[in-house]
Amino acid sequence: MNLTDSQIERYSRHIILEQVGLAGQEALGRAKVLIVGAGGLGSPAALYLGAAGVGTLGIADADAVDLSNLQRQVIHHTADVGRPKVESAAERIRALNPEVTVRAYPERVRAANALAIMRDYDFVIDGTDSFAAKFLLNDAAYFAGKPLSHAGILRFEGQLTTIRPGASACYRCLFREPPPAGAVPSCSQAGVLGVLAGVVGCLQATEAIKYILGLGELLTDSLLTYDALAMRFRKVAVRRSPDCPLCGDRPSIKELVDPEEAACELRP
Amino acid sequence: MNRLEKCGLRVLDSVRRDVQAFRATVQQYLEGKLDATRFKVKRVPMGIYEQRRGGFMVRVRIGAGVALPGQLRALAKIAADHGAAHLTTRQDVQLHDVPVEAIPGIFEQLLAVNLTGRGGGGNTVRNVSASPRAGVDPAEVFDVRPHAIATAEYLLDSPGAFNLPRKYKLAFSGTAADDAFASVADLGFFAREQDGQPGFRVFAGGGLGGSPKPAIVLEEWVPAEDAPLVAEALRRLFDRRGDRGNKHAARLRFVVEKMGEQEFRDEYFRDKAKVAAEHPIFPAPRPFPSPWRPELAKQARELRPGELSPLIEPERRVGFYTVRINPRLGLVNPEAMLRIADLAEANGEGLVRFTQRQEGLLCGIPGGLVGETVASLRKLGKDIFDERRPSVVACAGAATCQLGLCLSRGLATAIEDRFTARADGLLPAIRISGCPNSCGNHQVAKLGLAGKARRVQGRLIPYYDVMVDGRLGAEGARLAQRIGSLPAKRVFDFLERAATDGEAGFSCQNLHALIDEYQTLPETVPEDWFRDWGSDQPFSLAGRGPGECGAGTFDLVRVDIETAKGGLAAARAAELPPPRRDQALAEAAVAIMRALLPVFGLEPGTRREVYRDFQARLVDPGWVDASGAELAAALQDWQAGDRQSLAELEPALTALIERVEELFASLDASLRFQIKPLIRQPETAAAASASKDAATATHDLRGVACPLNFVRAKVALESRPVGSELEFLLDPGAPANNVPASFAEQGQQVLSMAAEDGWHRLRVRRVK
Ligand code: SF4
Ligand SMILES: [Zn+2]
Repeated sequence: MNLTDSQIERYSRHIILEQVGLAGQEALGRAKVLIVGAGGLGSPAALYLGAAGVGTLGIADADAVDLSNLQRQVIHHTADVGRPKVESAAERIRALNPEVTVRAYPERVRAANALAIMRDYDFVIDGTDSFAAKFLLNDAAYFAGKPLSHAGILRFEGQLTTIRPGASACYRCLFREPPPAGAVPSCSQAGVLGVLAGVVGCLQATEAIKYILGLGELLTDSLLTYDALAMRFRKVAVRRSPDCPLCGDRPSIKELVDPEEAACELRP
Repeated sequence: MNRLEKCGLRVLDSVRRDVQAFRATVQQYLEGKLDATRFKVKRVPMGIYEQRRGGFMVRVRIGAGVALPGQLRALAKIAADHGAAHLTTRQDVQLHDVPVEAIPGIFEQLLAVNLTGRGGGGNTVRNVSASPRAGVDPAEVFDVRPHAIATAEYLLDSPGAFNLPRKYKLAFSGTAADDAFASVADLGFFAREQDGQPGFRVFAGGGLGGSPKPAIVLEEWVPAEDAPLVAEALRRLFDRRGDRGNKHAARLRFVVEKMGEQEFRDEYFRDKAKVAAEHPIFPAPRPFPSPWRPELAKQARELRPGELSPLIEPERRVGFYTVRINPRLGLVNPEAMLRIADLAEANGEGLVRFTQRQEGLLCGIPGGLVGETVASLRKLGKDIFDERRPSVVACAGAATCQLGLCLSRGLATAIEDRFTARADGLLPAIRISGCPNSCGNHQVAKLGLAGKARRVQGRLIPYYDVMVDGRLGAEGARLAQRIGSLPAKRVFDFLERAATDGEAGFSCQNLHALIDEYQTLPETVPEDWFRDWGSDQPFSLAGRGPGECGAGTFDLVRVDIETAKGGLAAARAAELPPPRRDQALAEAAVAIMRALLPVFGLEPGTRREVYRDFQARLVDPGWVDASGAELAAALQDWQAGDRQSLAELEPALTALIERVEELFASLDASLRFQIKPLIRQPETAAAASASKDAATATHDLRGVACPLNFVRAKVALESRPVGSELEFLLDPGAPANNVPASFAEQGQQVLSMAAEDGWHRLRVRRVK
């Protein structure tokens, strides 16, 4: 791959970095990242990954843009209300960086399609907002062997971890199964500070880029929590659980199934 | 004895769960599902270390150093079934020679009596120690044990206790004399009353071993019930600021050093406020019942001077005594442990205590029962209880410790035997460590010895640094000063010689005056000096390391750096005649060139190999500058007789030592340097024109502004294979300055930079 003059200029602040350089920028150009959910987390992640020159971005989301989304889902604009989210997201990414190939999946990721969608990607970003979807993505990433950035936000707090299936703690190592319906408030019920989604989604994009470039330390076997009110980040070491039902020694989950939809009955 | 059970450190439910889960880890390891490295990472925080001679050691934490007789009996049973028991310098009990498959069972037995190894090792909140004679010492301000235990229980109940950047050692001293080592702990508390209120003067950031530091005063006074608050605040600061990347600079003292005392304190106060704002609930301190049991009061009486010995000390309540049990090297056998447990119950307060000197204590013994108690202890043999044996504390040393250099226990035994026989009581308390790590606490000893190795005539001699005049205390610790170093086999003669001067023989001045005679090596070194105490083999470092986490390699490097610095210092001492000075400089130079080679897996034997490997691994890749190569050349000339003096090399040698230390300090856990190679000097004109023929291309970057000119140049260079050379034309001013500097910063080789007609021509070689 030979960068054109305008590409060299566009990515010059990356190329200058000793740890990125030409080779790193080319690696970004070859990389394929799947973003599941074009909402609060997916919006900043998609924009920054597109801007960074990640060659292929997959965006999966079945929903349409709602006025109440715009407080945090910054990839969609007021004129987009009512349009499928994947459409407005794709349009925005292309406008920002025409060199990115955007593939839109206007569907909900389920057990039936998850592996087929993931197969072609190098890294998956979980930008969903329900426990059921998060568990499904965790399991799917495990069976597909794809690294996954998990994140969740609620009110003023966010959490984040990166999973290299089989090699580091998975979401189920930490939280066995989705909580029963109603036990934990979903975002819609509890409210969320819009900018929190921006911070955490950007952290996910950072993990994806580090993974692609092989730089630094991934947030594997660690849970990063962010308390926006106290302005405190805390990185807690976690470990793979030998009795994890998915990646443990005697797994009970042997194939991908849809977890029961639990938390989010209201529209996000 | 129920009243006592309530007071000691409890095993918390969270800890109990961790310990029980560990059974599965051992099982996985035994089934081959868990490799040795992963197992190590899991076992070390459980207090389980692999021994150098094979088998494992379990370090059991004894909170505040107080154990119930039932706990001691359980430890005795485990020791009888599997191995041996050893008292440490931090009030723990270590079980040695334990086979791995026995560990789950042992942990069950320990849990049954409220003991664990959790936090016995690794980067955890280690055993919280306390003045061993708390509650009975006439000199104490108040009994610190309840506060030590409450603090430990609070810290241990959070998972944060077991994933710290490095270990976190706490100590509580009830007396200004600091029998708890609080003035060199990560966090130390000194009991102090203010307006009739119990409280503590707080010290932080102390530690022995590499780069030892006395602790600094963190707070002049805090109320006693705030101890857990202080400990948690500092734990958080440590957790956040400690350098996890470099375990050799991870302890809290390096955080203090990096931040500066003032900023460190400021940040600590912010953390403290934050912890306080969370309204944590601290465990209430549980006072210990009186050590003087009413049913023994009838037997209380004051002893006559003739009935006292160095191992019998009066307590605060007149007529009661503490009996000190001084097992040789801290090694105890199961029978002795059982007997001591019985004596504690029958004749004393019903507790067995452990000291920071590898001893056991029986407290609350009424004068009338001291004779009987001592008689039963004597029956256990002189290796357990000996009133004439001098006090020598020694770490495990190279016999069992992976990092050990010298057989510290062998030397300790030799000294003890000889001075027990003399019985003149002249010998001061001695502390011996088998390597500079200071597990024997030599750095705070009145007279301390630290093992090292020196290469003499191409062979290794076990050596000890001699340190004097260390001190602990509520006014701050003072580290012992090194006065010289002796071959291990000479230590002994040196001490005997000092003893011939009587009372004053062991004064600092006298030791200073005497050491020179003993540290100068004779022309022919006696063969015996090449062997360590208690070994008939020639001294070697075989079997050391890689230790836990490449630490063995680190020590090899450190030995050579120390040797080099020693040689340089010796050469600088003005009185040396020139030939001796050159000899010292040459040894220093070879040592420093060899120092980092183990990092590359090399251990060159001859000097010629050292020069060769040094050139290939350190000079050529640019880790050290070209003067290093000149040094090697000069040495070879000098050896061949083509060069008269090495004196002019001193600045280059000094610089090289500094650079090597810098590189060493930057090594990460996987033995990679974290700092960049030095910028290469431009090649000479001849060399530059010689390589002119090599395929070079010229890129015209005139008219391209910063930083895009560098970006384009970088892209051009990085699209060519390593070794390629390129030329760039640059505008004068900022471009001519920035572009070559940026290449150099990023480790590429700037070959030349020349002003031409209104522009500059830059030549660069891609080297990475
Ligand atoms: S001082 Fe050195 S030899 Fe002694 S126990 Fe510590 S590390 Fe081992
Ligand atoms: Zn798992």
